[in-house]
Amino acid sequence: MHTALEPPKGVWWKPAGRAEKLWVGIAFGWCLVLFAMMPLWHLKGEQNTTGIRRKVEPEAFQARTIEFIQQYQIGTEKGIPVVEPPPGSDVYLLARMWNWVPILKLQKGAEYTLHLSSMDLNHGFNLYPMNINLQVVPDYDYALRIVPGEAGDLRIVCNEFCGIGHHTMIGKLIVVDESAETVTYGGGER
Amino acid sequence: MAMYGVPPGITNPPSPLPAGADGEHPKTTGTLVLVFVFLAAFATYYFVNWKLLSLVWRIG
Amino acid sequence: MSTAFRTCPVTRLKVHSQADALIKANAVAATIFLIVGGIAAFLVLLTRWQVVHLLDAAWFYRMLTIHGMSMLIFFILFFEMAVLYFAGPVVLSSRVPAPRIGWLSFVVMAIGALTVEWAMWTGRADVMFSSYVPLKAHWSYYLGVILFAVGALTVVGLFFASLVVAKRERTYEGSIPLVTFGALTAAIIAVVTLGHGAAIYIPTFLWSIGVMHVDPAVYRLVFWGLGHSAQQINLGAMVALWYMLGALTVGAVVLNEKISRSAFVLYILFINMAAAHHLLVDPVAGPAWKVWNTSYAMYLAVLASMVHGFTIPAGIEVGQRLRGVTQGMFGWLRKAPWGDPGFSSLIFSIVIFGFVGGITGVTFGTEQINLIAHNTLRIPGHFHATVVGGTALAFMGATYYLIPLIFRKQVAFWPLAKIQPYVFAFGMLVFTMAMTFAGTFGVPRRHWDITFSNTSFDLQYSPAVDLVIGIMAVGGLIAALGGAMYVLVTVWSVFFGRRFDLETVKTGGQI
Ligand code: HEM
Ligand SMILES: [Cu+2]
Ligand SMILES: [Cu+2]
Repeated sequence: MHTALEPPKGVWWKPAGRAEKLWVGIAFGWCLVLFAMMPLWHLKGEQNTTGIRRKVEPEAFQARTIEFIQQYQIGTEKGIPVVEPPPGSDVYLLARMWNWVPILKLQKGAEYTLHLSSMDLNHGFNLYPMNINLQVVPDYDYALRIVPGEAGDLRIVCNEFCGIGHHTMIGKLIVVDESAETVTYGGGER
Repeated sequence: MAMYGVPPGITNPPSPLPAGADGEHPKTTGTLVLVFVFLAAFATYYFVNWKLLSLVWRIG
Repeated sequence: MSTAFRTCPVTRLKVHSQADALIKANAVAATIFLIVGGIAAFLVLLTRWQVVHLLDAAWFYRMLTIHGMSMLIFFILFFEMAVLYFAGPVVLSSRVPAPRIGWLSFVVMAIGALTVEWAMWTGRADVMFSSYVPLKAHWSYYLGVILFAVGALTVVGLFFASLVVAKRERTYEGSIPLVTFGALTAAIIAVVTLGHGAAIYIPTFLWSIGVMHVDPAVYRLVFWGLGHSAQQINLGAMVALWYMLGALTVGAVVLNEKISRSAFVLYILFINMAAAHHLLVDPVAGPAWKVWNTSYAMYLAVLASMVHGFTIPAGIEVGQRLRGVTQGMFGWLRKAPWGDPGFSSLIFSIVIFGFVGGITGVTFGTEQINLIAHNTLRIPGHFHATVVGGTALAFMGATYYLIPLIFRKQVAFWPLAKIQPYVFAFGMLVFTMAMTFAGTFGVPRRHWDITFSNTSFDLQYSPAVDLVIGIMAVGGLIAALGGAMYVLVTVWSVFFGRRFDLETVKTGGQI
């Protein structure tokens, strides 16, 4: 035998030993498992990244977001509109240096189609504390069907570097649990 | 013949391989054990992450 | 230019003086950028550790850009140029064809790198190494990167030429050794990579001077065609060095040339897909594209790494057993030269690369799992295990052989050199695991203030995050200490070291 620094002489295409064959076989089998998991999750899993993807002019996306806000606005917090869209609707979240607009108020267990885009640079959508992460790219609309699983007062952290104010870019998302509130307050009042 | 400042691979280079060592090689039991430990760690971390993923909201 | 050869007294290889000189120049340049990047690492680390929070925001982002570029691009690539001159001309006992071109490329690379450093240090390029369009840097930044890449590509061409020359001049018998074959795969990958580099940096340069439009999503695709393929170069070079260190330190054998070489070929075949796992939560590609590409066609590149991860330790085991070290299952490991920094680096590099970097990389690069990993601290946690604990540590181990064999100096502070891989590997292990774990809580990467002290909405991570970040900081500081030890040892050896020649070895050496 020889080391890896010596030129092999003659034909080096020789049959492999038993241990090598065994490991290559097992490793390849494992690779197939890794591969199969992804299509499988598309069929059986509930977390996928496909969504609806298309090009959009930043101005058009902004106009759509403003329209959406006007339609469902219920208040304002820290200068940012709070919006409560009905379950099943298309909701818009605009990223720009350095905030997320608007503040969305969603219902637990209801499905929404969340549209994400940016007015300027790349931004990163990180939902705290769920740890869901999506890339927000200018000129593109990323629309994902999403079902809030827990009620709470959540945060949207920007996790893509977007200039000197990057670390101040934090948004808010509220999820309310209609059924639970009815029980708590008894009166069914919101 | 160890020497200050020179790796032993240079001062005492590995002895030449015994003649006739070509062909079938000795068993590699130790390495096989190690790579199976690796595979187990891999599979564990991998599936723990699928579990973590399954805990987040429905999205798609 | 001189074409003198010397015969290496240890390996009996014939070494061309120009190969010697070019290796030295590139290795010294690599070390300079390692020092710059290392200082930046220290400052960035102490800022992310919010107990200290050293830098202000502007300097944090600037230093992070400097750290990424100096380490990932300049340090790594200059060192790889040295590896190419070693694996080509030196291992094949051949001459460096057209050494003038080698020197010219070196100068072009140096000018490119210095231009980029200037742009970054003067605040003209606070864009991170990824410089996602439309985040804009000064045009000189892109121009510097282009120059650097052109220089590197020329060295790769010179490496191919040296293989042709060696073959034609019959400086070796049989096929090229496995180490050279590994370097060859790295070089081929470099061509593909730098092609992507041209395809993205030239338009971006034109965009920066206002004569062209670059689509942000296309930028991300092509940039990662460069950015990730570049990691495959590092991978190829690192694995080649693993084989080399195994051979030098314990006389590891090649179990089967067919298997090892086929595994290297798999790296070449599938790198063009490498961009995909950076775009898994991007609003562009569809699921079929993502599944096929992120898996590099059914994980065949992962298969290749798993194969090397077996054949290298198995080659060590067989080499030891053939030499009579046969006690038990692990006698070959226990009796190994753990005091040889080349050997300890080799083993730690394999372990950190495989167990931490490899496992996390495949997991986070899974289409759907990326949802809970993208842009969190899990990502830098993963790649410090691959490119630092793996590649950089393998480079360090190789350096301990490069110093006596090429620089012909004794390694200074030898006891320090012997423990250096232990310190660095331990620090990196703690640092990468803690960083990855912190990311599990959703803590973002590239972030100056995760206490959100001056923001419109508050956010407080669980106290566990503070603890884990603290552990990360301690690990990082230990690794930084290991890095400083490496710099001290190498710089001192090269510039003030005692001359090494075989006579001193024969007479038993002296302290
Ligand atoms: C002791 C050694 C090192 C320490 C303590 C260290 C520490 C760090 C830290 C704290 C970050 C910031 C993570 C973040 O905030 O997102 C970082 C980023 C990074 N490091 Fe290192 N590092 C070390 C060595 C290296 C080496 C040797 C390389 C490359 C060969 C490297 C490549 C990078 C890259 C590419 C980034 C990402 C920069 C970015 O996000 O743009 N590091 N490092
Ligand atoms: Cu942002
Ligand atoms: Cu940001």
